[in-house]
Amino acid sequence: MSEQQLFKVTIDNITIEVPAGTTVLQAARSIGGDVAPPAMCFYSKLEGSGGKCRTCLVEVSKGSEKDPRPMPKLVASCRTTVMDGMEVKNITSPKVKDARAGVVEFLLLNHPLDCPICDQAGECHLQDLGYEHGKEGTRYEFQRRTFKKYDLGQYIQLHMTRCILCYRCVFTADQLTEKREHGVLDRGDHAQIATFIEKNLHNDFIGNVIDVCPVGALTDKTFRFKNRVWFLKPLDAHRDCPTCSGRVTLWNRGDEVFRVTARKDEWGEIEDTPDGKTGWICNTCRFEKKKTSDWMIEGPRNVNRHSVISQGHYVGLQKPQETIEKVLDGRQPKLLMDIHNISDVNKPSVELSAINGAATSSVFNK
Amino acid sequence: MGVKLLLEKAHIPGIRTYEVYRREGGYRSVEKALQSMTPEAIVEEVKKSGLRGRGGAGFPAGMKWSFIAKPEGVPRHLVCNADESEPGTFKDRYLMEFLPHLLIEGLIVASFALGSNNTYIYIRGEYAWIVDILETAINEAKANGWLGENILNSGFDCNIHVQRGAGAYICGEETALIESLEGKRGNPRIKPPFPAIKGLWQRPTVVNNVETLAAVVPIINIGGDEYAKIGVGRSTGTKLISACGNINKPGVYEIDMTVSVEEFIYSDEYCGGIANGKRLKACIPGGSSVPILPANLLLKTAKGETRYMNYESLSDGGFATGSMMGSGGFIILDEDQCIVKNTYTLARFYRHESCGQCSPCREGTGWMEKLLLRLEKGEGKMSDIDLLWDIQRKIEGNTICPLGDAAAWPVAAAIRHFRDEFEWHVTHAQEAQTRNFGLAHYADPIHVPVTA
Ligand SMILES: Cc1cc2nc3c(=O)[nH]c(=O)nc-3n(C[C@H](O)[C@H](O)[C@H](O)COP(=O)(O)O)c2cc1C
Ligand code: SF4
Ligand code: SF4
Ligand code: FES
Repeated sequence: MSEQQLFKVTIDNITIEVPAGTTVLQAARSIGGDVAPPAMCFYSKLEGSGGKCRTCLVEVSKGSEKDPRPMPKLVASCRTTVMDGMEVKNITSPKVKDARAGVVEFLLLNHPLDCPICDQAGECHLQDLGYEHGKEGTRYEFQRRTFKKYDLGQYIQLHMTRCILCYRCVFTADQLTEKREHGVLDRGDHAQIATFIEKNLHNDFIGNVIDVCPVGALTDKTFRFKNRVWFLKPLDAHRDCPTCSGRVTLWNRGDEVFRVTARKDEWGEIEDTPDGKTGWICNTCRFEKKKTSDWMIEGPRNVNRHSVISQGHYVGLQKPQETIEKVLDGRQPKLLMDIHNISDVNKPSVELSAINGAATSSVFNK
Repeated sequence: MGVKLLLEKAHIPGIRTYEVYRREGGYRSVEKALQSMTPEAIVEEVKKSGLRGRGGAGFPAGMKWSFIAKPEGVPRHLVCNADESEPGTFKDRYLMEFLPHLLIEGLIVASFALGSNNTYIYIRGEYAWIVDILETAINEAKANGWLGENILNSGFDCNIHVQRGAGAYICGEETALIESLEGKRGNPRIKPPFPAIKGLWQRPTVVNNVETLAAVVPIINIGGDEYAKIGVGRSTGTKLISACGNINKPGVYEIDMTVSVEEFIYSDEYCGGIANGKRLKACIPGGSSVPILPANLLLKTAKGETRYMNYESLSDGGFATGSMMGSGGFIILDEDQCIVKNTYTLARFYRHESCGQCSPCREGTGWMEKLLLRLEKGEGKMSDIDLLWDIQRKIEGNTICPLGDAAAWPVAAAIRHFRDEFEWHVTHAQEAQTRNFGLAHYADPIHVPVTA
């Protein structure tokens, strides 16, 4: 292949070079940190995704070297490709911050905010988005929209009330399964994800819709209400699976496997397998293999996410630099007194049950 | 009497049939185009005419045609947008119902210019009876050699297919229309790519409004230069206006764009004045999506000049004091109309018609509707008015397709110009349930500061 053409792009005053055809969002992600706009609908593994939620809006203050005019409107960074010399403002643009706060408010407008009883809590992108880009409180004073819960087959529950209509599950089913059996019905704020006639999704790979769903609208019925995700210990594991790569993350408590998911990267997207394919996993791995003995455990998984899910996993833990020796000017710590030798509190000769009243020092001094 | 290029023959008995239409000089433009002109020459002629798209955005038609990509071996398509679902707009219906052959004729010429062998008319589902009229006309045209293979021995093949929509306003947006035509859910596409590069079945496609395509006929017949002499400035040719609301003579009028708004409303040739001797309060001059104007800003611009029925003059003053030509749906409100209620009705429409893809439009339209209903019922708060303003501001410009803007603009304009009427619904909540705010000062002359 001929040499990849490289484009220079400046995002929030940081200049990098990326291959032509890269989207602004992907370029920003390669810088990382706060420069990467939040993305609720775009999913790099799903063709055609993005452009819908509008959380990733950015300001293009210079179109390109050739045509330096700024773009008149904010653009969806997930669906805008970089041009050579483009200058983009994300968190450095007040317009972006204002519009994004608006989008967060819109997304939460009809959201039930039932995080306390939602399985997604702790790994929910909408929670993260709300914390990071939203405002406290809402100005909405009307009844929120609700839908009935549906079982989509034996494994998946659809809780449409929480859905943000990102269309990721629709793209997943379209691109991963032979015949898509669900989609979007109706329009506008009354639109819903639904199945057509049959309320059942049959397909070896349909479980992946749970992983792509940014919120708690599609949940794993084998895991429902079993545990909070932040109490679980994520472990990388694999098995020899005839259907999929068999590379998963186990979510354990003690030796018990509570749930199985695909392996997700820091943007919440399913990681590639070593052969470069997206690591979708099959229903058998996800729903049926719930014993530690089903798996070869590789080791703990570092979950690099902003929300409470990483709580307790000590990711990025800052250990104090100084050692005791340093603090003590090079002297070794010295045992000054062994409390057990001096105190008789633990005297085995005194039968505790025989003490009449409170056990005070007078009892032991006898 | 102004010049009439489209509707001149609309009332000749039997004009809907091929024989009469042909006898009256129909299909001359096809003969001229296919026998004596190249496709490029036709595009050039349309460019010269200055014809602007009649579907709402007013984009120059010739320019749009010249953008169509021409990759080797890939078919191209022309699609006629007959979805006409904008409240207040009903001009395409009239044209198709009375002069189906005029549209077919324009379609053949445009198809030839663009190299479209399969051309589609996507028609609003509710216009069921017009489908029959169009299909009859297509069959007649085909039987007489104007459609099919090797038309007039030019080597050009063309067929026209009529496809009915299923009742969604959003399918009038060109990329949603294309999706729907492909048999999918009518969600607008994210642009780029534009239809001119990847449209119907990923092939280069031009989408034009019914009236735009019909106007190609007189342009070819009289020539682009002659056409451009009619009208004024960049508003060339004639425009169909569907006038409705509180006027004496609602209907579809063809105007050359030199008529003043005042003349259009009050002269007997057009609307014939406000009905029942009432006074004019406000007007939505270009279909429900464009900003509403109070009487004083409608008849005169903020500079105190006469406002005319054309693209430039209607938008004079920008959104602060002007509006838009839009799709030509001219809606008049008299002194008995309540602006709050009218705005609520429009908001309800947009909420219902939003496709729901992008969050600002999906959620924002529903929110605005609820707030407006509350205000209308006298249960609103003063802060609701500012909230509405903030919501529309956060929708506008932040969505995938212009429906978001179309939902935001009417609310913004109503608050901008009629804020005191909104406030009155809060301060006089009880009274607002029993009577309307009335004309108030909305027709008072606007003080124009004199500058030396
Ligand atoms: C929500 C929405 C609805 C629309 N509905 C129509 C319509 O019913 N008819 C139409 O001709 N154009 C409609 N348009 C405009 C089309 O997208 C497109 O601009 C037009 O068909 C182009 O034709 P023109 O260049 O001849 O005006 C609509 C646009 C939007 C955003
Ligand atoms: S169910 Fe989940 S993945 Fe599907 S559209 Fe809703 S939020 Fe997106
Ligand atoms: S602006 Fe509204 S109608 Fe247009 S794509 Fe977005 S949700 Fe759909
Ligand atoms: S992530 Fe770009 S619009 Fe949703």
